[in-house]
Amino acid sequence: MLKVIGLSVKYGSLQVLRRVTFHVAMGEIVALIGANGAGKSTLLRTISGVMRPFEGEIFFRDQLIQGKSVERIVQLGLVQVPEARQLFPNMTVLENLELGGYIYGHKHVAENLPKMFELFPVLAGRKLQKAGTLSGGEQQMLSIARALMTDPRLLILDEPSLGLAPLIVEEIYRTIESLSERGTTILLVEQNAMGALAVANRAYVLETGRIVLSGDARELMEHDDVQRAYLGKDYEHKWER
Amino acid sequence: MPLNPAEKLSREEIRQLQLERLQTTLNRAYFNVDFYRNRMDTLKLLPEDVSTFEELRRFPFTTRQDLADHYPYGLFAVPLRSIVRLKVTSPALRDRGKPIVVGFTRHDVGMWQSLMVRLYEQLGVTDRDIVQVAFNFALFPGALTFNQAGESLGATLAPSATISATLQLQIMQDFRSTVLATTAAFALHMAETMKKQRLDAGRLHLKLVLVGPDPLPEETRAHLEAAFGVPVYGLYGVSEMVEPGIAGECPEKNGLHWAEEQFLPEIVNPATGEPAPQGQEGELVITTLTAEGYPIVRYRTGDVTVLQESPCPCGRTFARISPVARRTDNRLSVRGIPLYPEQVEELLTSFDDFIEDLRLVIHTRHGVGEQLEVLLTRSQEKEFLQGGRSQYLEALRSHVRRALGLGARIQLVERDRLPKEGLIRKTIFKNTGTLYDQD
Repeated sequence: MLKVIGLSVKYGSLQVLRRVTFHVAMGEIVALIGANGAGKSTLLRTISGVMRPFEGEIFFRDQLIQGKSVERIVQLGLVQVPEARQLFPNMTVLENLELGGYIYGHKHVAENLPKMFELFPVLAGRKLQKAGTLSGGEQQMLSIARALMTDPRLLILDEPSLGLAPLIVEEIYRTIESLSERGTTILLVEQNAMGALAVANRAYVLETGRIVLSGDARELMEHDDVQRAYLGKDYEHKWER
Repeated sequence: MPLNPAEKLSREEIRQLQLERLQTTLNRAYFNVDFYRNRMDTLKLLPEDVSTFEELRRFPFTTRQDLADHYPYGLFAVPLRSIVRLKVTSPALRDRGKPIVVGFTRHDVGMWQSLMVRLYEQLGVTDRDIVQVAFNFALFPGALTFNQAGESLGATLAPSATISATLQLQIMQDFRSTVLATTAAFALHMAETMKKQRLDAGRLHLKLVLVGPDPLPEETRAHLEAAFGVPVYGLYGVSEMVEPGIAGECPEKNGLHWAEEQFLPEIVNPATGEPAPQGQEGELVITTLTAEGYPIVRYRTGDVTVLQESPCPCGRTFARISPVARRTDNRLSVRGIPLYPEQVEELLTSFDDFIEDLRLVIHTRHGVGEQLEVLLTRSQEKEFLQGGRSQYLEALRSHVRRALGLGARIQLVERDRLPKEGLIRKTIFKNTGTLYDQD
C-alpha cells in the first residue's frame, strides 16, 4: 500500500532522514518507533506532502506521490492524524467532523457522520460541545474520527498516546485495533515503543534518521536494542556480561 | 502442503524486503562492528551511501581471512549477553590456530531453525515423519539444527549421530525411520553396507534422503537413489556460517531455493569481483539480512554457482542456485571434512623440515571424496628424527589425524614416482570402486 524507498530529507544543510526504506502492506498495522529527534515527524510530514524529500521515492497504491499536493494525497486515501490532535477548539465536535469530510461534499459527510458516532459513542453525546472543552482522550478520538471522515485507505497516526493517561492510551489503542479489523491499514508512529509494539503487526526502529531495526512487533518488543534505542548503549565491550 | 507466505512473495516484494533489511544490516554493522566501521570510514562511506543493490558493489568484500583475523568476538554486533549460542566453524588448527567463531542471538537461533524447518517442509516432511540425523556433530556443528528443526516440526527423532553404518541401518529398520539426513559420504557408506549385508531397500521405510552440507553431485544422487530406492535431495550452507539451511532443493530437483528474505546473494566474477551477468556462473557472495549477532556484508564464499530467478514449477518464488560444482580456491572435501592442500602441506612441513614435495591423492567414489592419501618425498641423506621409517610415518599419521580430524594414508615415495598434479595444487583425484570391499 505504502512503499518508501531511499528517502532523504534535509533542513538546510542538516540531514534529518538518511535513505529510509520501509513499507506498509494492505491490512497491516505497522509501527514506526524512535526517540525524540529520530526523524519520525519529518518522515510523516514528507509522506503527507507537507515537506519535499531531497532524494528517494514514495509510492502510495503504486503511484509516485512525492511532489503531489497534500490535498491530492488525501484524495488518494492517505490521511494523517496529526500529533497533539490539532482540532479546531472553538468549533463543535460536529463541525470538526464535517470539516474532515469537506473535500468530498455534503452527501459523503451525511453518510459518514452516523458511522463515526457509532464507532465513537462518546462523541455522539457531545456533538454540540466545543472541541476545546473535551478531555485529552476525547480530543484524540475526535481527531481520529475527523481523519476517518475521508474514508482513508491508509491512516497515519502521529503519537496518538502523547500526553494521555495510561487507561486512555489503552482505549485509543483498542480503537486502532478495531479500525484495523474494519479494514483500515494503519501506520502508527510512536515514542511509546512498548504500547505501539503491542498493537502492531510489524515495526521499524528509527534512530537519528536511519532505520536500524525492523521485524515482527512481538519479537522487537523483547529486543535488547529496542531498549538501548531509548536508554542508550549500555556496554563498553562486547564481552561484558 | 500449502506454501508458507514468505515463499510466495512476488519478485518485487522480495526486492523491497531485501532493501529494507540491507539498510538495517548496514546501519547495524557500521555502528556496532569496528571492522566494518573502519573499512567504511577509510573509504569515506556511510551506510546510506551503499544502500541500493547497485551501490552495495562499492562495499569491499569480506573474506575468510577477515573472519579468522577477528577471533573470537571481533565481528560480533551485539554484546555477549545478547548472544545465546557460540559455534566454532572449523578444527582448531585451521587458519594457523584461529578458528572462526560465530555467535547467535535468540533471534538468530530461531531464524536458522525456521530455515531448516522450511527445507524439511519443502520436501514434504511432516510431524508424522521419523527423522534419523546421522552426522558427526563434532565435525559439523550445524548438524544440531537438523535435530532442533525436526523437533520444532513435530517430527520424531530417531536416536542416531556418530554410530556405525550397521547400527544406523538397524535403527532405521527397527524405528521405521522415514527421513535420513546425512553427508553424501556416509550415505554412500551406508549404501555399501546394505549391499554387503544383502539388505533390500524395500525393507526400509524411507521416504527420502537429505544430503548436506557438501554439494550433492548428480552422479552421487543417482547412485544413492538406486541404492535406497527413494528420492535424494541436497541443501546448501556456507561452512563459515556453520548452519545448513541457506538453500535447499524442492521436489522438482532443479536448483536449490535460496532463503532470499534472510540472505542477499550476489554472483561475481571471481577474478575481477564485478557482477556476473544474470544467469551466468560466478562466485557466490552473501550478505546477511537479519542476522543480529554476526552480520556479514559481502562475504566471498568461494563457491561457484549460477543464480536463477525464473519461476519454479513448485510455485516458490525464491531464486534458485545450481548445486555448487566448483570452488574458487583449492578447498577439498574428504568424507565431508573440508581441507586445503596448502594447509596439509604446511601441517606436514611444520612436522618435518626435510619433506621436499608431496601430492594429495583424493580417492573418490561416486563423485564424493572418501579417503585422503599423501605421497611424500623426503631428502635422502637426512635421518628420521625418532626411530625408523615406520615410526616416522606413524607419528606423521597421528599428527595429521589430530589436526584435520581425518585419518590419512601416508607413504614415502621416490621423487620420480610423484604423479603430475592436476588442476588443483599438488592434488590428484583417483576414482576408486573398491574402497569398502577392501575393509
